[in-house]
Amino acid sequence: MRALATSPAIHETVVVDRRETLSGIVILGLYAPEIARLVRPGQYAMAVPPGGERAATALGVYEARDERISLMLAVVGVRTRELANLQVGAKLDLLAPLGNGFDLEALRDDVALVAGGVGLASMLLPAQHLTASGRRAHLYYGASTAEALVDESKFAELGIGVSVATDDGTRGYHGFVTELLERDGRAHDVLAACGPSPMLRAVGRIARLRGVRAQLALEETFACGVGACWGCVVAIDRSSPQAPRFPQASSAWDGHADAASASEYVYARICKEGPVFWSDELRW
Amino acid sequence: MKLETHPDLQVELGALRLRVPTLMGSGCYGSGEEYAPFADLAEIGAVVLKSVTRLPRLGNPTPRLAVTPSGLLNAIGLQNPGIEHYLAHDVAKFASRPCAVVGSVAGFSVDDYAYVTQRLAVRDEIHAIELNISCPNVGSEGETFACDANLAEAATKAARAVTAKPLIVKLSPNVTDIAAIARVVEGAGADALAVINTVRGMAIDVDRREPRLGNAAGGLSGPAIRPIAVLAVWNVAAAVRIPIVGQGGIESARDALEFFLAGASAVSIGTGNFTDPRVPLNVTSGLRTYLAQRGAGSLREIVGTANPGFLGPA
Ligand SMILES: Cc1cc2nc3c(=O)[nH]c(=O)nc-3n(C[C@H](O)[C@H](O)[C@H](O)COP(=O)(O)OP(=O)(O)OC[C@H]3O[C@@H](n4cnc5c(N)ncnc54)[C@H](O)[C@@H]3O)c2cc1C
Ligand SMILES: Cc1cc2nc3c(=O)[nH]c(=O)nc-3n(C[C@H](O)[C@H](O)[C@H](O)COP(=O)(O)O)c2cc1C
Ligand code: FES
Repeated sequence: MRALATSPAIHETVVVDRRETLSGIVILGLYAPEIARLVRPGQYAMAVPPGGERAATALGVYEARDERISLMLAVVGVRTRELANLQVGAKLDLLAPLGNGFDLEALRDDVALVAGGVGLASMLLPAQHLTASGRRAHLYYGASTAEALVDESKFAELGIGVSVATDDGTRGYHGFVTELLERDGRAHDVLAACGPSPMLRAVGRIARLRGVRAQLALEETFACGVGACWGCVVAIDRSSPQAPRFPQASSAWDGHADAASASEYVYARICKEGPVFWSDELRW
Repeated sequence: MKLETHPDLQVELGALRLRVPTLMGSGCYGSGEEYAPFADLAEIGAVVLKSVTRLPRLGNPTPRLAVTPSGLLNAIGLQNPGIEHYLAHDVAKFASRPCAVVGSVAGFSVDDYAYVTQRLAVRDEIHAIELNISCPNVGSEGETFACDANLAEAATKAARAVTAKPLIVKLSPNVTDIAAIARVVEGAGADALAVINTVRGMAIDVDRREPRLGNAAGGLSGPAIRPIAVLAVWNVAAAVRIPIVGQGGIESARDALEFFLAGASAVSIGTGNFTDPRVPLNVTSGLRTYLAQRGAGSLREIVGTANPGFLGPA
């Protein structure tokens, strides 16, 4: 992705709205005028834990308009639970906006947006930008079960077609969203995707078979979220514009593959060089 | 009554003089640049750079991080471009930092420590050297130096021989008697000691039935290790007279004070920055308030005062 010239900062925000779906997904609306103005599709925020003790939590910026943004939370552990429990009026400090978002300029007409679970959080802003610039898009949206599918209407309102898949078949296609994408067989120019990594790998495979490039928003455990700790890396082609400058690997390379393959890739930081990468440049 | 809110927080680590006693932990703060949008670097004492080795290293396979109760497990594996590339492309830009810059050197042999220290220490952009003889994430070799008194002594002597710049040696908590190692390292010519590096640990994914880290084992940091770190400082402070840079889970001034009262002259903040980049500034302002409220004119007055065995910088 092209590096974005953004000016991240610590923003003190306030919860102004809280929605909880039947499946326990929580959408926090925040008063955050600066972030709303600055954020680009695919960028994320690091949420400072109100109780300290743990690293901040990476969250995609779901909506951004009228001085407000929202975050979509799936509760999977202690930090996401703490954030999901915030009520209207609570303060939440965010480091934002962070990362290089999607390269929307590179997308032509008829774009497939692929989202799994709360990966949907990173799909609405690109959808809005695409439709605003007159490009068509279609959303392929997968979740574990019908109740976990949220906010499809926000996409439908934009005039975007939505196809859903559930793991248990309680709604839409019974199976993975990537299978749905494959079966649909439409000649999408470029894919953009977001969600857990097995899904992203599958999207990358489908893109390769169709001879198109996919932009994938990756997730990994973050610590700093700002490029300081090198904890969130993914292997990418040494020749990628997103590859950090790095000399050829040497005998000091400490070995989880052979030295030859080591010389072809380097580790890039998902938080800094990403979180969006071109699927054909990933070595995972 | 108006409180005196500007007690003296200055500290000297050998010839390294810092206006405020906060160092940003190696590997946790990049080169400072990464945190500049979120923290005023002029208000921190020093940034300790990511450890650099003689040859480039790709680092460990992923995942490299796991969040654990009040802590963080990491196994980065010293990903770095190697000293030659570092000198040619990275070091020059450190000159613009408004705080002190401490280079961190890691190695796999005594000769590595001597070579990298010498190459790095001659650069004006680098104000002091920290010897990382305690990295737990690079197989057995990396930490051997901090766990064996003879090797710790040899690495320290080798680095001491090639530079007159302030030399901080970073000790491992993963030893039976950290005070004994500290004494040997002091004797070998260290100007200060960093206490402690991460504590070895592991987390297992019970669904996948495999360790959560790609490297299996990792180093634990954050509030979970603070009591271990405070005790290590306490013990080391009763064994050496050189200043100690206390670290392990500091997120507030009160956390930092535990280290100062145990005998540390300065503190380092690593993982705390991941929680909130404002931690270092909160620590200094909280220290000022604490000292002012107790009528202390300087931080020095309270260092080691909870520790009857404290020897104190000579
Ligand atoms: C760029 C980016 C954007 C993101 N956007 C969003 C978003 O918009 N919305 C959202 O909800 N999430 C998002 N995430 C993911 C979110 O950051 C993580 O879910 C969150 O950090 C988890 O924190 P936690 O403390 O709640 O869970 P953790 O305790 O850190 O656990 C994380 C995962 O590990 C598993 N785990 C923990 N311990 C164990 C164990 N012992 N054995 C097996 N598994 C274990 C948990 O079940 C969970 O799946 C994003 C991540 C990134 C990197
Ligand atoms: C992600 C990460 C990377 C680290 N890398 C290094 C390193 O390269 N060299 C080093 O001497 N210490 C390294 N450390 C150790 C820290 O500098 C610090 O000593 C330790 O984490 C304890 O302090 P803390 O709890 O404040 O983080 C690293 C720690 C973390 C969490
Ligand atoms: S999370 Fe620290 S470099 Fe990405």
